[in-house]
Amino acid sequence: MTVPRPYALLAEITYRCPLHCPYCSNPVTVASASSAGALAKEAVPSGKPAESVALRTAIATTNNGELTTEEWKRVISEAAVLGVLQIGFSGGEPLARRDLAGLIRAAREAKLYTNLITSGIGLDDDRLRELRDAGLDSIQLSFQSDESRLADEIAGTRAHERKLDVATKIRAIGIPLSLNVVIHRRNIDRLPQMIDLAEALGAERVELANVQFYGWAFRNRAALLPTREQVDRARDLVTAAKARLAGKIDIFYVLPDYYETRPKPCLNGWGQRYLTVNPIGDVLPCPTASSAIPDLRLENVRTRDLDWIWRESESFNRFRGTEWMPEPCQSCPQRDIDFGGCRCQAALLTGNAANTDPVCEFSSDRARVDAVLRDINTSCEHTDEWTYRTNPSPVPVSV
Amino acid sequence: MAQGVRLQIDSTTGKNVLLYPEGIVELNETAHAILSRCDGRTLGEITHALAEEYEVDVNALAADVRETLSDLQQRKLVELK
Repeated sequence: MTVPRPYALLAEITYRCPLHCPYCSNPVTVASASSAGALAKEAVPSGKPAESVALRTAIATTNNGELTTEEWKRVISEAAVLGVLQIGFSGGEPLARRDLAGLIRAAREAKLYTNLITSGIGLDDDRLRELRDAGLDSIQLSFQSDESRLADEIAGTRAHERKLDVATKIRAIGIPLSLNVVIHRRNIDRLPQMIDLAEALGAERVELANVQFYGWAFRNRAALLPTREQVDRARDLVTAAKARLAGKIDIFYVLPDYYETRPKPCLNGWGQRYLTVNPIGDVLPCPTASSAIPDLRLENVRTRDLDWIWRESESFNRFRGTEWMPEPCQSCPQRDIDFGGCRCQAALLTGNAANTDPVCEFSSDRARVDAVLRDINTSCEHTDEWTYRTNPSPVPVSV
Repeated sequence: MAQGVRLQIDSTTGKNVLLYPEGIVELNETAHAILSRCDGRTLGEITHALAEEYEVDVNALAADVRETLSDLQQRKLVELK
């Protein structure tokens, strides 16, 4: 099989985040807890009587086994050699790492286009100048809704007013701004107001992405899935707004795939264009794969170079191309268009990552998606209760 | 060129690409010829420069230049003033 070159690297530099959004795609638990734990033990050998519990706690909770600055710089340069042209700094909240500007500078030196995907919390004028001077190309600022009351309820913290202030500062310093909003049942009816907000803040681009059900969103699906009526109305609104704002604001709308009859062409195919490196250095074909497909044997940048992982590893080759596909995908003319859909979704809904994405009308598991849609569209008793995201704390701290 | 858009050579293929938030456009030779002249010049000046350099009829070229740029403008990759 010829292995293509990747175009984009998602660098999840930390899982730490001041927000608690119930749809976060971060893993609900961190699988590599053992390695972080081992690191903490190594840093502070047990058996020493004068050990500081406070210090041990600090070390364990600030590092969490995260890659160091030098390790990230090596990953960035290996990615550029592999063919990567774009890097997204994400998390968690990437601003939680003080070395962010240095990493951006390293990415620019490797000629990568640099995106910061952020909640904006912690972004003041000094930090913005530092990032701009490092060569940051663009900022994607998340919003939870268009007004404080609902937005802060979704974020699980008071953040909205600060985000408005940050957006103004970003525009003032001259960094291109995208607004990113995750859309779900509680905020989908406010799409027009969100588009107005993007316009008012001078954003170049707005990404309105219906929640996809992985990580925390999968756990909170019953409280997040919109109704069919909401989805239909939203589609019309977005179509009209796109026409009105063409050439002014680029509106990128991600459909709620449960309501589709054909699956999304997830990642443009497994191991074709994208790779993700998570905070502890695991390399993923897809950001949600570590939690959705637990038997995927992940490689780590601490033990292998990126080139080998991309070309040779079992994890990147498992669903590459079309040979792995079962029926009905194998003989389907759509297979080169949608690549069988999403492997993580197949795993989460059918228990087998190699199955056809059950969103597909030809999947023998489509009934599982229909059952979820029936629940939300026939009952009036919808739960509004969700579990807020918590920061992963893989290191058990015994006092 | 719109703010946040970068024209660069893809070192893997040697081709010219436009990089922008979450996107990459590979430019064909003609689009690159047009874009690399977008430095504040007017549409007419760009068309004339291209016509002269490649010895093509200005009138034949004008519609193509306009079409290429308006396509890129719709995608927020260039700004026409």
